[in-house]
Amino acid sequence: MNSSSHKLQLSGDKKYLLSFKSQDSLSKLLLRSVAWTVIGLLTIMIILLTRESFIAIEEFGLEFITTSYWNPVLEEFGGLAFIYGTLVTSFIAILLAAPLSILVALFIQEVCPDWIGKTLGLLVEMIAAIPSIVFGLWGLFFLAPIVREYIAPFLRQTFGFLPIFQGPSFGIGVLTASIILAIMIVPTITSLCREVFKVVPSHQREAALALGATRFEMMKIAVFSPSLSGIIGASVLGLGRALGETMAVAMVIGNSPAIVASIFAPGATLASVIANEYAESTSDMHVAALCLIGLVLFVITFIVNFIARGVIWHYTRKQGNR
Amino acid sequence: MNEKQTEQKVTLATKDLHAWFDDFHAVKGISVEYPEKTINAVIGPSGCGKSTYLRCLNRIHEEVPGAKASGEVSLLGQNIYAPHVDPVELRRNIGMVFQKPNPFPNMTIFENVVIGLKLQGYSKKSYLLEVAEHCLKKAALWEEVKDKLNRPGTSLSGGQQQRLCIARALAVNPPVLLMDEPTSALDPIASAKIEELMTELKKEFTVIVVTHNMQQAARIADYTSFLVLGELIEHGLSSQIFTNPKEQKTEDYVTGRFG
Amino acid sequence: MSYLQYRKLKNILFLGSLYMSALIALLPLFLILQYLILKGATSLNLDFFLHDPSPVGEAGGGMRHAIVGTLYMVGIGSLISVPIGLLCGIYLAEFGRGKTAKILRFTIDMLTGIPSIIIGIFAYILIVAPLQSFSALAGGFALSIIILPIVTRSTEEILKLVPTHIREAGLALGLPRWRVIFQIIVKGNFKSLITGIMLAVSRAAGETAPLLFTAFGNMYLNFQISEPMASLPVQIYTYAISPFDQWQEQAWAAAFVLITIVLGINLVSRALVNNKMIIGQSKRVINHTRLIRKKKGN
Repeated sequence: MNSSSHKLQLSGDKKYLLSFKSQDSLSKLLLRSVAWTVIGLLTIMIILLTRESFIAIEEFGLEFITTSYWNPVLEEFGGLAFIYGTLVTSFIAILLAAPLSILVALFIQEVCPDWIGKTLGLLVEMIAAIPSIVFGLWGLFFLAPIVREYIAPFLRQTFGFLPIFQGPSFGIGVLTASIILAIMIVPTITSLCREVFKVVPSHQREAALALGATRFEMMKIAVFSPSLSGIIGASVLGLGRALGETMAVAMVIGNSPAIVASIFAPGATLASVIANEYAESTSDMHVAALCLIGLVLFVITFIVNFIARGVIWHYTRKQGNR
Repeated sequence: MNEKQTEQKVTLATKDLHAWFDDFHAVKGISVEYPEKTINAVIGPSGCGKSTYLRCLNRIHEEVPGAKASGEVSLLGQNIYAPHVDPVELRRNIGMVFQKPNPFPNMTIFENVVIGLKLQGYSKKSYLLEVAEHCLKKAALWEEVKDKLNRPGTSLSGGQQQRLCIARALAVNPPVLLMDEPTSALDPIASAKIEELMTELKKEFTVIVVTHNMQQAARIADYTSFLVLGELIEHGLSSQIFTNPKEQKTEDYVTGRFG
Repeated sequence: MSYLQYRKLKNILFLGSLYMSALIALLPLFLILQYLILKGATSLNLDFFLHDPSPVGEAGGGMRHAIVGTLYMVGIGSLISVPIGLLCGIYLAEFGRGKTAKILRFTIDMLTGIPSIIIGIFAYILIVAPLQSFSALAGGFALSIIILPIVTRSTEEILKLVPTHIREAGLALGLPRWRVIFQIIVKGNFKSLITGIMLAVSRAAGETAPLLFTAFGNMYLNFQISEPMASLPVQIYTYAISPFDQWQEQAWAAAFVLITIVLGINLVSRALVNNKMIIGQSKRVINHTRLIRKKKGN
């Protein structure tokens, strides 16, 4: 080998059917068409869902989301009770889960030695891996009796002057569903919060400690406060997950389409009514009404996820510019 | 420009070469000739476009989204920016070594060296082994790795990885070897080894090296180009650039008063 | 009490509440696992894996049909979605700047957020209604939509971590870009990609809602793609809300098997790559964010 043997071949090699340029554009085209297939899939999903619920939209219009009368036999459908049930259970779940998750994330990121933190993180993510049907089963046979025997009586005695804590508890009901939801979204919020805390530069922590802050004050000043918008984003994503959760809720909420003040009473959510009735629905109007319920649920989760995306995007951009 | 240069065969020559990143004009009309079997250094303050310039020479610059280049670069007399030239095919004729050692992480030392040949359709194991030994010897790495050719390329030290990358670039026997700050990620001892290797490689190849280390350029390069803000300020024999520059800016830079 | 003592007390109380919160968050995990082992593992026997259900009132019977059904439909879902998900992830990581990529990224985010029950409705409208029958195909299709966004995201995240100079080394050797992508980038990260896929598959194996009115359920073993098919999650649901003690016991046993499969795949695939991955994708995300910040900082 020496340099006199240098041969140049610059244009297309005859060995190949296609030039490299066309190979590259072809592969890019292929990838792009797969991308558009997936985008098309979501579009078709939205279109089909709307089309199927069309006769219900025509029949009930806006009344569908302002009335709560739901009777498949008489073919009268109003979905307000389900919207209410969905929002209430998710809201209580966030109230329970968000503070807990933030504390757990702080504990793992700021207090624990590395290996304990990793193990804890792994265990928390294991909760996320448990199928929701298992949560439902456990909620039905383990949690519901505990709510009936201990939690509900305690709440009734302590805060019984509030209407939401009045009335009997049968175990299954809004409160049980909310607790199950809270357990299920803790991992989501925790791992997102951990990511948010990790991004805080360690020199900010050191600056706070150098000023004589206790660890609590350090976490408050240097970790929690600058991460607030990220924490909100994490909670909103958790909310999005809670809104759409189906099986666990369907098994413990009691499935009664009524708006009752007491959180001990049974209720129903958008997702649970679909799970309960879709397979057995016979009339076209019933199917359409259930599809419309699905569409409402879709729109709600879409909006919530969109907000979360916006908050997190805003947050990461701010971090990036810092 | 110089008598010695006109006697020698020119391997690579650029003529009015421009390069852009979106709207940013990074290289502004550079024309230089590189004679056969020489080491040519490109120096300049950081951000002067020297890396971009080098990356135009094997048309890898245009792979960055938003980047484009125009002008003429002739390799052994052929313009590589001519419309019929396939940039992928072109790159097989030019070796390139990067700032960070970057052996392919999923390949063994042996596979890393011969990947270029394999791509051109050579598959006979005995031939590939022969080439691998030849190239690793040229890259002064053979003695260190001959017993562990099947270990991953990333298991080597930084300096060894860089020599592996040089061997990988040599395997296709390119007339030109482009090196983009090949020693900036290495410690002084490993750097010295690479420099020594470059003077060896000069016997067979034309080397164009971008460096921010002026001492390095002065030590090893036959010719040196000095770039500021994408413009070629001065090009000439290293001895002249570093001892007797014609331009004030060059003198300021090489004496450390600027940049 | 001095102000400093007050601050120190607050600090101790806060640290205490951190410990408490970790305990409370993990309590359900231990309770569920304990309950599953107590009630589920004890009702397990060999018959459970080898027999189909026996009629109500008769002892014995198992869930062979549901285990087979779950594997079958998860298989269909993976066959559809793993290639598509990989390609989408590759597209986002390698050509992620254009308009198509932006829309795709948005779509994937939305698909991740869609409640799984809606995916069930979609599969029903698209496949069950035209074919006039619940079918394994519809169930598998619904599961594929669960798998797709997870595979896409993990693929994108993994490939984005490959430094640009590795790609350039390939290009400089005269590789066309598609071979750089597939032979160097994808091949070099094969193990991590598999982990992402396994996590997605384990998630799909536990899904109930999308199967309720697509695959429906079946009390017999079935291999026909156009027939209704049983699955572990749906079978658990059916048995759990039934009034028969024996069925409820079976539900617990099935839940134990299901969680063993799901957590098993999850843990094995995490361990498969390396210890660094134990805290999962979040680590990668963070490394990635750090990289970006570093770049922007310069």
